Amino acid sequence: MISSLLTKKSQLNTALQQYESGRSLRQDAFVRLKKNKLAVFGLIVLSLMIVLSLLTPWIAPYSYEAQNLDLGASPPSWQHWMGTDIFGRDQFTRVLYGSRVSLMVGFIATSVALCIGVLWGTIAGYVGGRVDAIMMRIVDVLYALPFSIFIILLMVVFGRSLLLLFLAIGAVEWLTMARIVRGQVLNLRHQEFVEAAVSLGLSRWQIMTRHIIPNILGPIIVYTTLTIPSVILLESFLSFLGLGIQPPQSSWGSLISYGVETIEEYPWLLIYPSVVLSLTLFALNFLGDGLRDAFDPRTSKD
Amino acid sequence: MPLLSVSNLTTRFYTREGVTNAVENVNFSIDEGELLGIVGESGSGKSVACYSLLGLVPCPPGKIESGEALFDGKDLLKIGERALRDIRGNSISMIFQDPMTSLNPYMRIGDQLTEAYRQHKKSSKTEALSRAIASLEEVGIRDAEKRINAYPHEFSGGMRQRVMIAMALISEPRLLIADEPTTALDVTVQAQILELLKNLQEKRKLSIIFISHDLAVVSNIANRVLVMKQGEVVEQGEVAQIFNAPTHEYTKKLISAIPASGKPAEHKFASSSDKLLSVENLYTRFNLQSGSFFNRKNEKLTAVNNVSLDIYKGEILGLVGESGSGKSTLGRSIIRLIEADSGSVRLGDQNIRSLSPSDLRKARLQFQMIFQDPFASLNPRMTVFDALAEPLITHKLIDEKNLIQTINELLDDVGLERKYVRKYPHEFSGGQRQRIAIARALALRPKLIIADEPVSALDVTIQAQILELMLSLSKKHNLTMLFISHDLAVVRYICDRVMVMQSGCIVEQGETETLFNSPQEAYTQSLLAAIPQIPSATG
Amino acid sequence: MLRYTLIRLLAAIPVLFFVVLITFTLVHTAPGGPFDDERKASPEVLEGLNRHYNLDAPIQKQFVDYVANLIQGDFGPSFKYPNRSVSELISTGMSTTLELGIYALLFAMCLGALTGIAAGLKPNSLQDYMPMSIAMIGICLPSFVMGPLLVLLFGIYLEWLPVAGWGLSPGDKLLPSITLGAAYAAYIARLTRNGMLDVMSQDYIRTAKAKGLPQYRVVIFHALRGALAPVISFAGPAAAGLLSGSFVVETIYQIPGLGRFYLQAAFNRDYTMILGTTIFFAVLIIFFNILADILLAWVNPKLRQSLRGNSR
Repeated sequence: MISSLLTKKSQLNTALQQYESGRSLRQDAFVRLKKNKLAVFGLIVLSLMIVLSLLTPWIAPYSYEAQNLDLGASPPSWQHWMGTDIFGRDQFTRVLYGSRVSLMVGFIATSVALCIGVLWGTIAGYVGGRVDAIMMRIVDVLYALPFSIFIILLMVVFGRSLLLLFLAIGAVEWLTMARIVRGQVLNLRHQEFVEAAVSLGLSRWQIMTRHIIPNILGPIIVYTTLTIPSVILLESFLSFLGLGIQPPQSSWGSLISYGVETIEEYPWLLIYPSVVLSLTLFALNFLGDGLRDAFDPRTSKD
Repeated sequence: MPLLSVSNLTTRFYTREGVTNAVENVNFSIDEGELLGIVGESGSGKSVACYSLLGLVPCPPGKIESGEALFDGKDLLKIGERALRDIRGNSISMIFQDPMTSLNPYMRIGDQLTEAYRQHKKSSKTEALSRAIASLEEVGIRDAEKRINAYPHEFSGGMRQRVMIAMALISEPRLLIADEPTTALDVTVQAQILELLKNLQEKRKLSIIFISHDLAVVSNIANRVLVMKQGEVVEQGEVAQIFNAPTHEYTKKLISAIPASGKPAEHKFASSSDKLLSVENLYTRFNLQSGSFFNRKNEKLTAVNNVSLDIYKGEILGLVGESGSGKSTLGRSIIRLIEADSGSVRLGDQNIRSLSPSDLRKARLQFQMIFQDPFASLNPRMTVFDALAEPLITHKLIDEKNLIQTINELLDDVGLERKYVRKYPHEFSGGQRQRIAIARALALRPKLIIADEPVSALDVTIQAQILELMLSLSKKHNLTMLFISHDLAVVRYICDRVMVMQSGCIVEQGETETLFNSPQEAYTQSLLAAIPQIPSATG
Repeated sequence: MLRYTLIRLLAAIPVLFFVVLITFTLVHTAPGGPFDDERKASPEVLEGLNRHYNLDAPIQKQFVDYVANLIQGDFGPSFKYPNRSVSELISTGMSTTLELGIYALLFAMCLGALTGIAAGLKPNSLQDYMPMSIAMIGICLPSFVMGPLLVLLFGIYLEWLPVAGWGLSPGDKLLPSITLGAAYAAYIARLTRNGMLDVMSQDYIRTAKAKGLPQYRVVIFHALRGALAPVISFAGPAAAGLLSGSFVVETIYQIPGLGRFYLQAAFNRDYTMILGTTIFFAVLIIFFNILADILLAWVNPKLRQSLRGNSR
C-alpha cells in the first residue's frame, strides 16, 4: 500500500523498516483461511485439477478419440484406470480432456461475468441517483427472464459453439455479481472514511482506486469463487442435455450423460466423471465458504 | 432481608482468542423498593452480570463459573432454565438500550405485550388485552386502545422505550433491570423516561437495577451506586458518598471525566473580531422518496433552514441539537460534503459554494473534518502512515525527505507512539483511532476543522482524554473549530461560543457561559433542564 | 397490497413482450427451418407448407400476427404435430411438470427449512455440522448425477422403486421429486441456517427470552419470520431453477412433461412450440418472482406499509 502512494519508495521504506509492521486485514484473512481445513483441502484439490488439466496433452495415456472396438467397454484395470467406453476409448483420458473444457468454461465465463458485473455494479453504486435506478432496473428485468431456457434455445438455434457458451453463461451470471458489487459500493460510499477522503480533496478516481476498490476486493473474490462452480454446473447441465460440447470432444456433463445411458451395464462410465465433477464442485464451494468466513470476521467470530 | 442478593458471581467467556473474565467475583444486593445504579465503561461487565442472573448469557461461549443469587429464597443460578423462565418477565423484567431493535419489528405491539402476560398469568386473551392497554396508558401512551395494533416502527424512539417499559411492567414484576435504557435517546426524551421510571418505582414500590455508562444519569436517579471496572466491583455506596468521597482511584477518574464536574476550560477569549468563515442564508433540502418505483412521491425535508452564522479565527464554536435537528447536515453543507440548495459560504475571499469541482478539491486543504465513529472513519486497508501521507502527497505539500519527519510530528502532536506507524486501524482501540483521525485532519494545517460528534462514540475516560487533546491542540496551533455535539456538558466544557439548533434552524447563540447561565429561548431552557445534574455540583 | 400487486402485474407486461420479441427473433434468425428434414418435399409442397404456417409473410407481419393470436390465448399450431395446437401440447405436459415441480418444492421447503432451523439453533455443534455437510453434498451433486445414482441404488440394486415413468406404477413419483428437489433443499437449509443465526442474535430475541417465553414460542413466533425472509426471496430463482431442472429429471426418468416437449421442439425447430413453451415458462417464472415479492412484503410490516404508498 505504501508503495501505491509513493513513486520512489526505496528510501522511505528503509526508513520505515525500523518500525514494527502491522498486519493487514488481508493477511489476517489469509491466516484464518489457512486454519480452515476444508478450505485448504479445497484449494489443494482445485490446484491439482488445474495442473492436471493444463498438462493433459502431455500426461494423458491415450488419445481421447482413439477407438479400440475390440476392447469395447471394459471395467477399470491397470491399463485403463477408469475403464473404457463402448468404443474402447480410455475413460481416464476422456475425463482429463473433459476437465479442460469444464474448467475453461468455468473460468472464462466467470471472467466475462466478473468484468461486466463489476463494471456495471461499480458505476451504478458510485454514480448513484437516476443512473443507478435505471441500471438496477435493467438488472431486475433481466433477472425475471427465464435464462436457462434462453441458453438452451441459443445453443439449439446457433449450434453448439464454445464461444457462444462462454458468452451465454457469462451473460447470465453477471447479474448477481452486479448486484453484490453495487451493494458493497453503495455501502462504502456512505462510510465515513470515504467522506474523509472527499474532504481531503481526493479526486473521484483516487477515491475509487484507493478507498473503494481495495475494500470490495474481498467480497468480489469470494463471490467469484462461488460463481465458478455454478458455471461449471450450468455447462455440465447443457452438455448433459446434449447441448454443450460437440462429440468426439468431451466434457464432464457429456461423459455423465453417456454414463447414464449405460448405467446398468457399465456403471464406471457414470461414476468416475460424476466423482470428478462433484469433487471439483466441493473444492470450489469449500474454498468459497472458507474465503467468505476469512474475509468477514463477523461470521468467523462465533 | 434484601430482595436480591448476589454473591461471588463469576462469569467467563471462552472464545477462540482465549478466556475473558467478564464478571469476576461480584457481590451486591438490592432491597425492596430500592433503585440501584451500576456504572461502568464498555467491557466492564455491568450488563453481563445482570444477564447472568437471568440466564440470558449465551452459553457457550459464556459460562457462569460460580456464585449465588438469592431472590425470594431461590438461587437463580441453580434453579435451571424452566424455573428461570417463570421468573423472567414475571417477577423480574428487563428493558434494554435500543428500543429500535429490542421490539420485534414483525409483530404488533399488542401481541408483544399480551404474550408475556398470558404466558405467566394463564389469563384469557381479552383480560390480557385490557391489561396491556392499562399498562400502555400507565407509561404515558395516549390512545392506547388504538395504538395497540400498531407495529413498533410506527412509534418514535422515546415512545418505543415506553412500550418496552409497559411490556416489562405488565406482569407486575418486583424487580426491573434496565440496561442503558436512555442511552439511545435524546436528552429531553431521556429526562422524560428517567422521570417515568422514578415515578413508577415510587408508585409501585418497584426495585430497579439501572445499568449505565453515564455517572451523571445514574447519580440522578439511583439511591445507591455500584462502580464496575473490567468485571470487578471497585466501589459501592450511597450516591452522595460516591460523589463526595470516592475512595477508589477509578471512581475518582470517572468523576473527573464528567466534563462539567472538572474545572471549566479556560476559554481563550470572548471573541476575536477576525471573521474566518461566514455562512449566509444556507438551505439544504433532501428528497424523501417514498412509495414504490412506480408511484414515487417526492417530499422535501428541509434539513438546514435559512442558517446564517459566522466563525471567528481561533474560536471553538459549539453546535448543539438533538438527533434530526440538522446539525450534521449543516456541518457537511458548509464544506460541501453535501451540496446545499442555496445560500453562500465564504471562507476568506472565496465563496466555497461557487467553486468548480477541481478548485474545490484544491481548496479542501483549508477545511478538514473529524468524524464520529472512529471505527468507520479510517480506511481499514491503509496503515497509519498511508492515512497520514495521503493528504500531504495529494496536495503536494511535502517532499519525500520530510514526509517521515512530518508524520512523526503529527503522531507526537496527537500523543500516539511513533512505532505504530505501520499498523492498521483495526489494531488500535477506539480512542487511538480517534487520535489518528485527528492527526489526519491536522496534516493539512487547515484553517477550519469541523468536528462532528468526535467524542460521542467513546467511553467517558477516553472522551475526557480526547477533549483534553483537542483543547491543547487548538491552543498550540490556534485552530478554529466547529464542534458539533448532542452533549451539552461536553460543549460547555470545550466551546467558546455555542449555537443551539432545532429542526434546521438556529434558535439561539451566544457565549458559552452566558448561554448556559441565562438561556433565553424556551427550547434552550428545556434542553438545559434535561441535563442530568450531578450531586456534587449542586451541593 | 392490492395496488402493489396490480402494479407488479402491469409491469410484467412489457417484460413479457420483451421475452416474446427476443424469442421470436432468435428463432426466426436461426439458420435452418422446420421443414429441412423433409428433403424429398417438392418446392411446391414446401411453399404450401410455408403458406399454411404463415411463414411466407414478412417477418414483421408474422410477429404482429403471432402477438395478436397470443393475446387471444392462441399459441398457434405445432409444426411437427400438424394436427395439434401448441396450447394443447403445453396443457398436456404442463400438469405433469407442475406436479413434479410442486412435489419437489414441497420436499425442498420442508426438509430445508427444518434442518436449517435445527442447525441454526445450535451453531457449531453436531446438530449444525451434520445437516450442513449433507447440504453441501446436495449442492455439489447435480441432479443429473444424483438422479442416476438414486436409480442405481433404489431402482436397480435394491429394486424398491420403479426406475422410470410418472403415475404409471406406485411410488414412481418419489425418486424424480427427490432428485429435482434435493439441491434446493440444500440451498434452503443453508439460507435458513444463516437467517436463523442472524435473527437469533437480534435484540428482540433477547427481549422475547427476557419475557420468559419458552423456546418454542421464541423460535416460532419471534425468530421464524425474520429467518424465512431470505428463503422467500429465494422462491423466485428457485422456481426458475426447478423448471430448467425438470428438463434433466424428465429426461432421466422418461417423464412426458413440458421439459421433454421443449427439448424435442428445440431439436426439431418446431418454431411455434419453442415460442409457446418459452413464453409459458417466462410467465411462470415472472409469476413466481412477483409472488415471492408479495409474500415478502406480507411478512414484513414495514415494507408492507411503504408499499401501500398512499398511507400518509
